[in-house]
Amino acid sequence: MKWKKIILVFSIAALAELSSCKQVLDINQNPNVPSTDQATTPLLFPAAEISAASAIGGEMAIIGCLWSEFVTQDVSSSQYRTFDSYNVASTDLNTDYNQLYTGALNDLELILQKTRAAQDWNYNLLATVMKVYTYATLVDMYDQVPYTQALQGASNLQPKFDNGQDIYTALLGSLDSALNQNFSAATNSQPGTEDYIFGGDMDQWRAFANTLKLKMYLRMVNAKPDAAEAGIKSLYDANVTFLTSDAAITQWTATPNKQNPFYAQNIFALNTPSNLKASNTFIYWLMKNNDPRIVDYFGTATPVGVDQGNYLSNNPVYKTATTFVQHATDPVQFISGPESYFMQAEARERYYGGDQAQSLYNAGVSAAFAVFGHDASSYIAPGGAYAYPVGGSLDDKIDAIITQKWASLPGSHSLEAWFERNRTGFPKSSLVYSDDAGYVAGEFVISATSVIGNVFPKRIVFPDNERSRNSNTPAQVPITTPVWWGK
Amino acid sequence: MRNLLIMLCVFISFSALAQNEMASGKISNPKGEPVSFATVAVKGTKITAVADADGSFRIKAKPGQTLVISAASYTTRDYAVQGLTGNDVILQTGSASLNEVVVVALGQSKSKARVGYSTATFNTDVINKVSPVSMMDGLSGKVAGADISNVSGTPGGSTKVVLRGYGVIGGGNNQPLYVIDGIPLSDGTVNIGVAGGNGPALTDYGNGMTDVNPNDIESITVLKGTSASSLYGSVAKNGVILITTKKGKSGKLTVALSSSFNASIVGKLPDEQTQFGQGWAGVSDITQNGSWGPALDGQMHPWGATVNNSQLVKPYAFQKNSIRDFYDVGTEYNNTISLSGGNEKTNFYFSYGNVTSNGILPGNYDKLQRNNFNVRTSSTFGNLNMAFSLNYINRHLTTPAKFSLGGLGNDLFNNILQIPVDMRIKDFSLYNNQFFNTDNYFTPFAENPYYDLTQNGSDQLQNRVYGKVDLTYKFTPQLSAEFRVGGDFTNANTAIWNAVNAPSPGSWNAGNNPAGSARQPDIGSYQQQSDYAGLIDGDFIVKYEKELNSNFSLDALAGVNYYQSKTTDQVTAIQGLTIPLFYNLSNSNSPPTGANTSFEKRLIGVYAQATLGFKDQLYLTVNARNDWSSTLPIDNNSFFYPGANLSWIASNTFDMRNGAISFLKFRAAYGETGADALPYLIYPTIQQGNIPATTGIPYGQIFFPIAGINGFTITPTIGNLDLKPIITKELELGFEAKFFDNRLGIDAAVYDKQTDGQIFNVPISPSSGYSALVENVGVVSNKGIELTLNATPVKTRDFTWTLNYTFAKNNSDVVSLTNGLNKVQIGSDGLSGGMEFDLFPGKPVGVFYSPAPVYSPNGKIVVDPNSGFPIVNPDKADIGTSERDFVMGLVNSFSYKNWTFSFSLDFRKGGYFYSSTADITMFSGNAAITTYNNRNPFIIPNSVNQVDGAGGKTEYVENKTYIPETSFDAYFYTASNKPLAYPMRLIDKSFLKLRDITLSYNLPAKWATPIHASSLMLSAYGRNFLLWLPKQNAYIDPEVSNLGNDLQSEFGEYSPTGPTTVQYGFSLKAIF
Repeated sequence: MKWKKIILVFSIAALAELSSCKQVLDINQNPNVPSTDQATTPLLFPAAEISAASAIGGEMAIIGCLWSEFVTQDVSSSQYRTFDSYNVASTDLNTDYNQLYTGALNDLELILQKTRAAQDWNYNLLATVMKVYTYATLVDMYDQVPYTQALQGASNLQPKFDNGQDIYTALLGSLDSALNQNFSAATNSQPGTEDYIFGGDMDQWRAFANTLKLKMYLRMVNAKPDAAEAGIKSLYDANVTFLTSDAAITQWTATPNKQNPFYAQNIFALNTPSNLKASNTFIYWLMKNNDPRIVDYFGTATPVGVDQGNYLSNNPVYKTATTFVQHATDPVQFISGPESYFMQAEARERYYGGDQAQSLYNAGVSAAFAVFGHDASSYIAPGGAYAYPVGGSLDDKIDAIITQKWASLPGSHSLEAWFERNRTGFPKSSLVYSDDAGYVAGEFVISATSVIGNVFPKRIVFPDNERSRNSNTPAQVPITTPVWWGK
Repeated sequence: MRNLLIMLCVFISFSALAQNEMASGKISNPKGEPVSFATVAVKGTKITAVADADGSFRIKAKPGQTLVISAASYTTRDYAVQGLTGNDVILQTGSASLNEVVVVALGQSKSKARVGYSTATFNTDVINKVSPVSMMDGLSGKVAGADISNVSGTPGGSTKVVLRGYGVIGGGNNQPLYVIDGIPLSDGTVNIGVAGGNGPALTDYGNGMTDVNPNDIESITVLKGTSASSLYGSVAKNGVILITTKKGKSGKLTVALSSSFNASIVGKLPDEQTQFGQGWAGVSDITQNGSWGPALDGQMHPWGATVNNSQLVKPYAFQKNSIRDFYDVGTEYNNTISLSGGNEKTNFYFSYGNVTSNGILPGNYDKLQRNNFNVRTSSTFGNLNMAFSLNYINRHLTTPAKFSLGGLGNDLFNNILQIPVDMRIKDFSLYNNQFFNTDNYFTPFAENPYYDLTQNGSDQLQNRVYGKVDLTYKFTPQLSAEFRVGGDFTNANTAIWNAVNAPSPGSWNAGNNPAGSARQPDIGSYQQQSDYAGLIDGDFIVKYEKELNSNFSLDALAGVNYYQSKTTDQVTAIQGLTIPLFYNLSNSNSPPTGANTSFEKRLIGVYAQATLGFKDQLYLTVNARNDWSSTLPIDNNSFFYPGANLSWIASNTFDMRNGAISFLKFRAAYGETGADALPYLIYPTIQQGNIPATTGIPYGQIFFPIAGINGFTITPTIGNLDLKPIITKELELGFEAKFFDNRLGIDAAVYDKQTDGQIFNVPISPSSGYSALVENVGVVSNKGIELTLNATPVKTRDFTWTLNYTFAKNNSDVVSLTNGLNKVQIGSDGLSGGMEFDLFPGKPVGVFYSPAPVYSPNGKIVVDPNSGFPIVNPDKADIGTSERDFVMGLVNSFSYKNWTFSFSLDFRKGGYFYSSTADITMFSGNAAITTYNNRNPFIIPNSVNQVDGAGGKTEYVENKTYIPETSFDAYFYTASNKPLAYPMRLIDKSFLKLRDITLSYNLPAKWATPIHASSLMLSAYGRNFLLWLPKQNAYIDPEVSNLGNDLQSEFGEYSPTGPTTVQYGFSLKAIF
């Protein structure tokens, strides 16, 4: 009978074990990461800012730099050949697109939910501006992207694409709404150093919001001239403040993994840090105008350039071409100070008969020179290389404004130069290649290795991540087709 | 620990108890020939003994007691002891298979005849024939339905074992469960990817299973089917490898010694072109890392950097064996000594094994040192049996670093393959020489491989303990209970270092070279990682066994199982070394970055099994198990799976003795298993902000905190609160037959397996806010056939020829994917728009989805009339699968008197792999294929141009644009010719290998006796030393991969892995 007792004991032990099963097995909460309940606005916001900066001021800026003809692919290496030949595949910018939606926008969406619930209108404005900036950039690149059905997680895995114009309208609406909240309510929290851009300075954020509206309205001048005019006039009617300095992230350091994202990708971790060489389009223009920024951009007053996209050539001069200068601490601008002045100049020129346009233009050129410690006064003085074409046509004036804006944008903010060219056509296109005797310095040339024929790229193809996972992705549009506001 | 030692002492002292009365005798067959090594047991007791080679036995027994005598190929018989001597027993030949015993699930042994599923068992001789360091390596190509590959040529590398194809394809582990004496073994890998490292390649530190000393193994049984493994529960979802270790036997103390030495040399290397030398785009350029220059002329030319106005001169001629000469002869010593013995109450086994292996790289940069200690005892006290085992493994592995954190210095083999064919690699061995150092190595685009070898490395020290305690109590002869608990605990410490360097300003590699290109400095890095893996497994089993009546027998068991596994990892790294050659976490301007992670999983299972036997003819087994897993949603974490199998021994139903058939058995089995998920896939989380490397340009990351501010982001994978287990259902049919007195045997099996509810991180539209969703998606089907043939064509007194042939064909197909998915990506070459490794519904598991050209309606390649290059098709194309058509193996063994000669062939046909070795040698113009058309301009064959015809209609005209000599390198490079260059890198992975060849000599007694040895055997062997590859594979042994040993590894090799080796050796095995 002894063994019966033993069995009994074992059975009781086994039963006791099974009844506590549930407790024993309840160990599936991941100890390595916090649960979503622990997310707070000050914890999410810095990650959202950096996420947006890393994509827009990183790999996307490489396309911006090449397609704005500041730089071109080195002949002795091959990293960016596909970009420089306009041969962009749907997979090429997958990661950046992914980053903007699953990083910046998804975090901002949670912040917006939290701040609306808490009536924290300060942070609501910060998150709205970042969201609008990010979506607008996506529209400027892809034209159509998911908006109304986006960011719904598992409840909508196939968000429909909205057209760019509708998204712009909705974004401007959300900026207005965010600007019109009660910022003196006690429910507001005060953002601090976790806001890399302005350290929580709400006046600066309102200026950023208004300048962003100005930028978006200016984008519409071709496609929706009436809405553009009305929007811009309403800004001036309300006597709003625009940015006078950069809305930028400047906290990058030379520390690995904390560097300017363009620098980190192109210089720090690539085996050949000399893929991006001076483009003759840009340096001929800088040299013609004796522009002192040439040293800041290329490290020498007499850089050697490569004609745009001519990386297959055996021209021995190309092998000595000058590398584009970058630093780990270069800022990532969302809107730069000079850019703000140039936009205001354009708005004054278009809708206020040029009133104050010249002084705003001059302020823009001066601010752009001042970035590198140069004095622009002799350049903008009458007869100077960059003197405002006071007597010229509107087109001449817009050309001067946009060309100066272009020259201020190499680096992490260069996507803007490509967008603005798509909108205005400035700098002008050249009829001949840049190695031709008749070439006019600064005019854009078609890449020698263009795979799309004798035209410029105007948009990016829909990303493979959407095409292969979302059946609502529209049919691919050729990259030569302008986006909705394009020219 | 102290208690353990005391227990050990007690056990050993039992073995020294005095001897009792012994009965002796001799066993022979009806012809009067001795029957060797028969098992003799005293009926009703636990006393057993083994007869010697001459059939003589001694056993503790008194006259009147009954002995049960059994031997392979003979019918077991009872024999009443006549006197203390002169017990001559004659055994009748019988059916071998009836008496064969196999170990099946839960460590239970069972007569093989009773099981209704396929099993394959290999004994220690087969496993250790060529003295492998890893226990499965000796079985490559010898098990029908098991794909066994050693994935790297470096010492201590991983072994991959795939049973019946890939079934459970998500969840990250496709390897079988390894079970040692009833206790699961932890088989994880410590694969280290450096935070911020480039690409998906992993440094291979071996998987857990490779630590077991093969010399300690008595036998290995492979359970491939679901029915066979289902009692083990979800951990056995991919089949089970059961390992039975050597035990002490009662009798005198036995000392066994096994010693081997082998030398290894480099195996398959890429075939190089011999016509063109250094340069690029057809032009000579002494800075370039490739052979795209002018034709070799054999004349003396200056080369390399100009240093202090001087330059080296060498003939511009092909350097034969340049890569081969880089490598050294590797050496490996593998020694094991074991002591075993005991009496009828207690036995013990102790062993010490030592492996010292230095691989084929020059110097001591690839080295494995392993010490295995092993002690096992088994004691009987009345009705209680206690078994105890403890293993300790100490392992030290040194391998070259596979990564760098920024800069050039990364991969050794990669840098070797970028050296032009007119240079002799060995010339660079003086990496401090003024012409070959960081400043003046001939190219800024690659690094001196000797610098990589000597300056960048990795070192891992691992300590591991595993063991078990097993108590069995026999309540009655029919009823017993077993309590067993085992553990497996590993600690590993790993350091990885990459040197800091930068070309001096104004030097050759700072840009003062004809190409005008500067070299990126290596910023240097140091990483320390400590990893722990622990596993505890316990079972309580009640067993019942009874002859119900003369026709029916029953054996049944029921049990409960507890399983717990936990891993913790801590990584700390610095980048940007301040002081060169000083490797400490303090040595950087930036603070160290670190991370720690832990994963824990628990599982409780209950199970039962019953076998009903009818007249030694028919056996029906039914079994069922229910698991509760911590990794599934807590309120829905239970899953149940049943199984049944039937075995019919037709040769016992019908008397076939007089015909050619000596044994015939039919099998049928149906089984289900459930598999749970990986931990932590259920709840939503946030994670520290970490902007990952982009795929387009896979460099540069941003980690929080930034400027002293921490940031967290929503984890981009959506957890699943409704996750379900993966259920596998398999039907298997088979038969075993033996003919002509067992001279010919056939074992065949067909199976049909469906695995439903695969758990994946399904990629989803990023605009949902997330990039992946954890989901049960898709059904995978595995269907296959396995055939094993054994034959003894010749058997005379002195000469025997046996052969063993295996054939297996498996089709793994993705039957469907749910949720509207048309593709799941499981791997890629890491480059944007590059080669993917995908699952598509209706296609085999693992399809290569490659960039492709645009084709005209007539199937011609559409090319751009300006460049002559093909136009990229926006959609990729399926260009092949990794799945093999079939595999077969053949082992031949000839023995003549004391000599044995054997060899085995392993043939695997079909399937593709992506070769990074092909990639880099094509890029550098070193591959033989790059001399296409003798590097004269050519038109892509069968190409057309697309033109706008009349009325806007698209028309195609013959392409007349040549690819000029200057674009040749671009033609062979993926970045510039995606549609054609990618498919060139997909290589047929068929091979035929002479796996091993052995010549053994059993030294006669006159040699053995003087040194008191009872057996002495000398062998000479070779491993893997003949390899036949299809013509297309001019690159590398297709078994290699540096993507681990999982399904992902079927993609091929990412970042050239390095060659495999050919080994020659000799061994000595002695028993005293």
